Amino acid sequence: MTMTAVPFADAGLPAVRVQRQTPSGRIALTLALAALVALVAMPWWASTGTIRWILELCCYLAVAQMWNLLAGYAGLVSVGQQAFMGAAGYALFVLAQTYGINPFLAVFLSLLVPAVLAVPTYFLLHRLEGPYFSIGTWVVAEVFRLVSTNLPLVNSGAGMSLRVMKDYSAFERNVAMSLLCATLLLVTLGGSYWLLRSRFGLALIAMRDNPVAAASQGVQVGRLRFLIYVAAAVGCGLAGAIYFMAQLRITPGSAFDPMWANLAIFIVMVGGIGSIEGVLIGTLIFFVADRWFGEYGASYFVVLGLMTLAVALYARTGIWGAIARRWDAPWFPIGRRLIDPQQGTKGETR
Amino acid sequence: MQWLDALIQGVLLGGMYAQYALGMALMFGVMRIVNISHGDLVILLSLIGISLASAFGLGPLPVLVALVPLAVLIGFVLQKTVLNRVVGNDPLPSLIATFGLSIALQNLMLQIWSANSRSLPGYGLESRSIEIGGIYIGLLPVIVLAVATGLTWGLDLMLKRTRFGRALRAAAADVEAAAMTGIDPRAVYALATAAAVGILGFAAVFQALRSTVAPADGPAQLIYAFEAVIIGGMGSVWGAFIGSMVLGISQAIGFRIDPGFGVLAGHIVFLFVLATRPQGLFGRA
Repeated sequence: MTMTAVPFADAGLPAVRVQRQTPSGRIALTLALAALVALVAMPWWASTGTIRWILELCCYLAVAQMWNLLAGYAGLVSVGQQAFMGAAGYALFVLAQTYGINPFLAVFLSLLVPAVLAVPTYFLLHRLEGPYFSIGTWVVAEVFRLVSTNLPLVNSGAGMSLRVMKDYSAFERNVAMSLLCATLLLVTLGGSYWLLRSRFGLALIAMRDNPVAAASQGVQVGRLRFLIYVAAAVGCGLAGAIYFMAQLRITPGSAFDPMWANLAIFIVMVGGIGSIEGVLIGTLIFFVADRWFGEYGASYFVVLGLMTLAVALYARTGIWGAIARRWDAPWFPIGRRLIDPQQGTKGETR
Repeated sequence: MQWLDALIQGVLLGGMYAQYALGMALMFGVMRIVNISHGDLVILLSLIGISLASAFGLGPLPVLVALVPLAVLIGFVLQKTVLNRVVGNDPLPSLIATFGLSIALQNLMLQIWSANSRSLPGYGLESRSIEIGGIYIGLLPVIVLAVATGLTWGLDLMLKRTRFGRALRAAAADVEAAAMTGIDPRAVYALATAAAVGILGFAAVFQALRSTVAPADGPAQLIYAFEAVIIGGMGSVWGAFIGSMVLGISQAIGFRIDPGFGVLAGHIVFLFVLATRPQGLFGRA
């Protein structure tokens, strides 16, 4: 991205430029592209074990960013995004295992299921006020879990295995997983970045700061919330389909595991809500903590829970919020800064 | 006959759910916040009660007498240390704070009491039943329903008649206007949460007597309380009571159709009410 010059028609206004990108942003974008290339090239430098944990990391990033988009920008605090992960995961297994469709094509076809399910879900739940919406999303995830437990099509409570993956060599599977990881991040993180820099982004940022004021400025808050809800369902669905394809096995308990909600909330709140940087920081912290302290089981989760509580009480902007207050060096700048060639900065949005 | 039996069992089950739902309705009505750790507090109190009973050989009534004041105290401290900091127009902070608390509580209980299911010895109370016209009704569920009715009636009366009730309703209607008339909202909130969690003291004893409790059971109780409140309609304690009955009956009938369908039937009725009458059966549109 380069600086965009916006010519003003009215001669009475000073000639200003709108600056969209910063040096820190350019460095981060370069690093992000390098990371994406490294992801695609994984089969040639990483072992199957490494690819597996990188895939898990990518799923955490994607799910957390989807939750961030919902809670941080649209004001929709969902604790039931696992509903869409499990739905897409099951759709993949049914399409590939039961109907014999190529699994790598089925990953993308399975996204139709969360997209279609998200529409009635939103229309039911958006009637609930604030915190009740959240518990409503949880009920929907529970309904999905109970339905899959009783549904013969998905082998009821016993779950399904993706045996068709045997037909591919380990190398072929590694190539596919690497490409899917790269696609997942490109769609969820890259897509969010693109969205936030677009015209919709301006509306979303206005909504994040104050939904009532945004509506009075002509932002269609209701419609935008609906679109974000469906987009987040599809994003979580893609993460779910890829995750369960790597797991090779799905059961109602694993498909609709509330652990994903815990994880997304922890990552986004500790990292810093309402920013992509926060999701990256939070995921890194969670991932390292999970590797080092995961063996402590319950006491580890007590600490995670108390940290989430502490962030909500004392540091609502999380780690990235504290960093951004001190240094003005965003990794993924989404703001617009007006530059007057004669006098310097005029004003900005963040 | 089988369906009449299911109906009666459903109403009795509803008595249990009403004891969870009342506190949630009260807290949401006054502060517009939902305590995600609501169900975990029931389980925590149950487990404390079970440990007290086995350590000192106490019967259900002494446990109840010990638990309710403890629950009131927990509610008061919860409001003072956590909820007063997050109450406000934005629902996010209170949700996240109580969500974190819920995770921490569940895992703390797991460490202290292990994952095993436990129950409170009722010294024969749990197995006694009365026969009415060929249908056997457990004595304990009848007591649960009677206590739930009493609690609902008492809470309703307190809200309508007492000075504290008026302060609560004023704070619920318009917190700033209430503050101008000399009501301290933080004090009112603390007492409201104390009352809401205090009721959970009753729920904890009866839950542990009626069935078993395990550290991971909290979220299910939270969901039942929530569904009861939404079905009944927000803003009235009797609405929460009737909503609990509807939920209990739906689940009991669902269980009769297929044991795997009971809880799901409750969820479906909840979604149906949400689709057709979003303000709830007794809510004002």
